[in-house]
Amino acid sequence: MSARISFLKNPDPCNHLSGYKLRYGTDGYKSFQSLFSCFNDGRIKIKLREIEIPRCSYCSVYQKRLYICLFCRSISCSSHILLHTQLNKGHDIAIDVERSELYCCACIDQVYDPEFDEIVVSKQLVGLGMSVKSGADVVAVRSNKKRRLDSQLIIGSKFLVSPRDRREKWSFPLGLRGLNNLGSTCFMNAVLQALVHAPPLRNFWLSGQHNRDLCPRRTMGLLCLPCDLDVIFAAMFSGDRTPYSPAHLLHSWWQHSTNLATYEQQDSHEFFISLLDRIHENEGKSKCLYQDHEECQCITHKAFSGLLRSDVTCTTCGSTSTTYDPFIDISLTLDSANGFSPADCRKNRYNGGPSVNATMPTLSGCLDFFTRSEKLGPDQKLNCQSCGEKRESSKQMSIRRLPLLLCLHVKRFEHSLTRKTSRKIDSYLQYPFRLNMSPYLSSSIIGKRFGNRMFAFDGEGEYDSSSSSPPSAEFEIFAVVTHSGMLESGHYVTYLRLKGLWYKCDDSWINEVEEEVVRGCECYMLFYAQEKVIQKAHKELSYQVISMAEAFPFANC
Amino acid sequence: MKHSVNRPPTPDEDDAAEGFEKDELTLREIINVKLVESGEKENLMELVRDRLVECGWKDEMRIACREHVKKKGRKDVTVDELIRVITPKGRASVPDSVKAELLNRIQNFIVSAAL
Repeated sequence: MSARISFLKNPDPCNHLSGYKLRYGTDGYKSFQSLFSCFNDGRIKIKLREIEIPRCSYCSVYQKRLYICLFCRSISCSSHILLHTQLNKGHDIAIDVERSELYCCACIDQVYDPEFDEIVVSKQLVGLGMSVKSGADVVAVRSNKKRRLDSQLIIGSKFLVSPRDRREKWSFPLGLRGLNNLGSTCFMNAVLQALVHAPPLRNFWLSGQHNRDLCPRRTMGLLCLPCDLDVIFAAMFSGDRTPYSPAHLLHSWWQHSTNLATYEQQDSHEFFISLLDRIHENEGKSKCLYQDHEECQCITHKAFSGLLRSDVTCTTCGSTSTTYDPFIDISLTLDSANGFSPADCRKNRYNGGPSVNATMPTLSGCLDFFTRSEKLGPDQKLNCQSCGEKRESSKQMSIRRLPLLLCLHVKRFEHSLTRKTSRKIDSYLQYPFRLNMSPYLSSSIIGKRFGNRMFAFDGEGEYDSSSSSPPSAEFEIFAVVTHSGMLESGHYVTYLRLKGLWYKCDDSWINEVEEEVVRGCECYMLFYAQEKVIQKAHKELSYQVISMAEAFPFANC
Repeated sequence: MKHSVNRPPTPDEDDAAEGFEKDELTLREIINVKLVESGEKENLMELVRDRLVECGWKDEMRIACREHVKKKGRKDVTVDELIRVITPKGRASVPDSVKAELLNRIQNFIVSAAL
């Protein structure tokens, strides 16, 4: 297998198993510990008495698959196990005598519980003279993702399957882990959570494309933020659920941005941009073909870089000059959301246009506003080539090429230079989970302006013009960074969408939350990914969710 | 030990139960008890397992299971169903050499136990 990590999956516990666990926990399992009998080839059987042959209590066969009831320890064969459950209400769970595996009589199928496996395996290790730690640390060796293969225990010439592999089978979202607040560092934690779960970035680091052990900058003793991120990715996906402290990254970032090296609250978006910039610097220098960002193959640009088109039109003669600029994210103005300022509303009404209902600011309204035709003021006259002098002009933005990951930043912090004050705009912004960006592409914007005209928009929307797949403007949301509170003393929280379920990442505390909570939050940064990226991520990461109470026992519920 | 009058139907589960006289069944039980008591049963089981892995039988069974699951769909298959479907195939495809070796071992055991 290549450097890709294989994730094993585990079916959900059935109702009967969950019910049993709620009522009895692991006591029932532990009471069987003395009965587990281990063999050389790694198998574990249940032995009631040393020489006795287990038989079905209904038909006395010993040749068939036998199950011992967890509640009353009576043994039934596969034909009679259902009868046993019917005659004894509540006796749902049994253990396969030959194999020490759980069986649900009501569901008539095998079921799985990592806690049971742990108890079985601990007996195995004890029997072989190994020391066993309690809880999740069944294996003495906790290795990072790179040394995963070495963590198998070798006994004699046979391999024991590393109990860590059993824990991998546990069904909960991979890579989900709290981040400790190191002193007003929620701004950093919020962005890290979003980046760690961005599929292209996750794949880049987890596949070892920036390996801190091989990094030339690090070996020279230089600072390297991508290396710090390598450590973070390894930690997040290690399977360890205790909150992690990203101290190294914070320290490195301080050394890069000394003016921001305080314990004061920083702007999450500012951190996001500066972090991506540093990654580009470190990564891109070795991989850039040109210094031009458009061609840069660093992970920052591969993931987030898109192309904006700006059309400046001279209002006098109508000639337009077009320029293209790359972007990593788009900052949207919240104030005049819904695409119209109050002044425009009035003007529209007089001109007979549709009256605008400015009740609820929406994301599409902000995007409309972003791509509107904006009349530049008289103090912003630009030199018109055909007129030969400075003229008033109008400017219109549109998107020439969409990135794989689209970060939309909502400008909630307003800094007024004239009044020397800053304020936070708290208004709620409605945003969709699924976003179609076609109306904001250059073809749509320019097309709308001039009616049915043929314009060449080659490669628009496509990230890689050489790829055969058609350009897609459909995006799905995967992370939301929210800010609550005041300008100076606020708090950042990230909501992550993993395989259709939402998780609130509030520093060290992770909770599963309902969709409505996320919809109703005060969004600050919205992270969308092209739908093909999300679909691919679903296939790569197979995992399912068990109750959060079991995965995060310390969670603040 | 209860002896059930209504023996459960086991067409594909246990070919030994069918067509055997009661006397021979008791003999089988006696042999089994002796095997277990002496620990030879475990040795034989381990031997059979090793042989079946060596000759690729286990892998064939795994492939057969996967194919069945693929056909039925992951969510619709239970372990019981797999056992029911795969067991006949499994029994039929055990190599003769393995059967012969096992019979030989049991024969030797009976002879030595009788002495």
